[in-house]
Amino acid sequence: MGSLFGDWPSFDPHNFSQLQPSDPSSPSRMTPATYHPTHSRTLPPPDQVITTDAKNILLRHIYQRAEEKDLRPKRAAPEHLVPEHGCKQPRASSSSC
Amino acid sequence: MFRSNNIVARIFQRQICTPAPGTSVHCARRFYENLVPSFTIYDVECPDHSFRKFTDDGQYLISFSRNNQDLIVYRPTWLSFSCKEEDCDSHDLPSKARRFESFFTQLYSVSLASCNELICKDFFLYMDSNQYGIFATSTVPSQDAPATGGAIPGFPSIEKMTFHLLRLEDGVILDEKVFHNDFVNLPHNMGVFLYDDLLAIVSLRYQTVHILQIRDSGNLVDVRAIGAYCHEDDELFLNSNAQCMAFPDKSKMHQLPQNHVQNGLHHSQPNLEESFLSGIKQRLLSFIFHRIWNEEKDRTLRVQCLKKKFYFHFQDYVDLIIWKVQFLDRHHLLIKFGSVEGVVSRNADQHPAFFAVYNMETTEIVAFYQNSAEDLYHLFEQYCDHFHSTSRNSLYMNFISSHSNNIHALEQLRSIKNKATSSSQFVKKMLGSLPFSCQSQSPSPYFDQSLFRFDEKLISATDRHRPSTDHPIKFILRRPPCSLKFKIKLGPEAGSADGRTKKISSFLFHPFLPLALSFQYTSFSQPSVVNIHFRR
Repeated sequence: MGSLFGDWPSFDPHNFSQLQPSDPSSPSRMTPATYHPTHSRTLPPPDQVITTDAKNILLRHIYQRAEEKDLRPKRAAPEHLVPEHGCKQPRASSSSC
Repeated sequence: MFRSNNIVARIFQRQICTPAPGTSVHCARRFYENLVPSFTIYDVECPDHSFRKFTDDGQYLISFSRNNQDLIVYRPTWLSFSCKEEDCDSHDLPSKARRFESFFTQLYSVSLASCNELICKDFFLYMDSNQYGIFATSTVPSQDAPATGGAIPGFPSIEKMTFHLLRLEDGVILDEKVFHNDFVNLPHNMGVFLYDDLLAIVSLRYQTVHILQIRDSGNLVDVRAIGAYCHEDDELFLNSNAQCMAFPDKSKMHQLPQNHVQNGLHHSQPNLEESFLSGIKQRLLSFIFHRIWNEEKDRTLRVQCLKKKFYFHFQDYVDLIIWKVQFLDRHHLLIKFGSVEGVVSRNADQHPAFFAVYNMETTEIVAFYQNSAEDLYHLFEQYCDHFHSTSRNSLYMNFISSHSNNIHALEQLRSIKNKATSSSQFVKKMLGSLPFSCQSQSPSPYFDQSLFRFDEKLISATDRHRPSTDHPIKFILRRPPCSLKFKIKLGPEAGSADGRTKKISSFLFHPFLPLALSFQYTSFSQPSVVNIHFRR
């Protein structure tokens, strides 16, 4: 076949001689490897919408901590009233709340 | 990125190398290691003005006349002389170049203050998207003002205080906002915060945070006033329902007409003040109540907890006043609360202080911390940059060194933390800088801690007066070869003859040019020596 690059200068005109130019009429036989999932556990929910949180990271952390405090598990009554060990100190005054 | 310290080698390397992702500005800033203001012109003859600062985009130098009544704006330019000789470096600067006018061109002078008013020369805010400047003029504060019309006692009263919005391009005054018989902490922008186009002005006397918007057309528009009311229509709602409320104490009814003092916007307190707490105080107290309520599920213990932590300190919480405010974003404010004595005496250590995060849209308090709270300190240590909230437009503000974005500043903070004797004292000291004041740091790359090392006690990005020294202030490279790059020497070239009078100094660095002004004052607050430092 004639040189693929026409009259362009090259070191060795036999380079690329085995390369066949892609012919649009005959589809290429090489199909890329495709991977299919074996389970559907990781599929996103069908109504999922991903958006950017407009709040900056500082405010996000402040809101997160506020939510964590609200969801704090309840303490059993005896633990609160009587410290079991000497090292446990009762909570300080309200200003530390 | 750069293998050599030579500027030409760096330029060639810049042509072929791409900086690591996200570091293009940091790599560009490294050229400031090569271009330094190493040449000093000592004792320049300059006009007798008090120079305030360079605007953050470097377009203007703001100064006020000595009598604090006029504003004079200069444009920073550069020397323009040429040398035809072979070896120019050895030549001295021509004497024509050693003048203030070679570096600065006066654009205009505008009179801001009328006869009995003075410009507050420590107050200036700049909105760089439109090149608008905000200045303040006020009459002399009177210390013993009676606390009338809902004002809280303890603060001085300024008869008339005006905020002027100016277009700096030509000096046209676009709008004004006047406060009467009020008090706003003006020096060093402490009582005012500018975020994007929103301005928050804290009226200490009437305990209101006024939120204003600066429109592109140049108008100052009132958005809301937070204090006695939270939503914009609270006042309307309360007043329209006033006649339906039953007053518990009928003897107070005859006092109502005297409470209506017409004093400008939102200054007349509602006549329901005696019967219940409204506005932000109510939000704060109910937040504290709910938080303690939710912590404890057992009913009897809950009441015990409330008694101990809330009702016992109820009056202290009610007596808290708004001290300082900053924006965290367009909807959230960080408000510092303190006791009246703490705010007035300025000695914050003995008095309690609290921080609250308030959402202006939902009018809810999101978080409430004491000033020794470890969680708030952790947030401050990790996200300090977000406390210096900057508008989207000014990108250079993201590169000011802080302990959250710079390893050297973080090491400094850690060393202070390790040396501190008491952890809660350390936390209080660090959180004492919150809320931050607006535009108080210079964006100059010479203060970038990853480029230069310098003595923070003598000079830093914060524009405060510092004790002056006769020794030059050294700027040393952080990276190898860690050499001395330039020195800033204050005072006359030969050193001042009088070594005993205490001198103070201040500096103005141009945001991006290698140009700086240094001022050395004696205690008479007249600048005795002005030096210009630039790259020759």
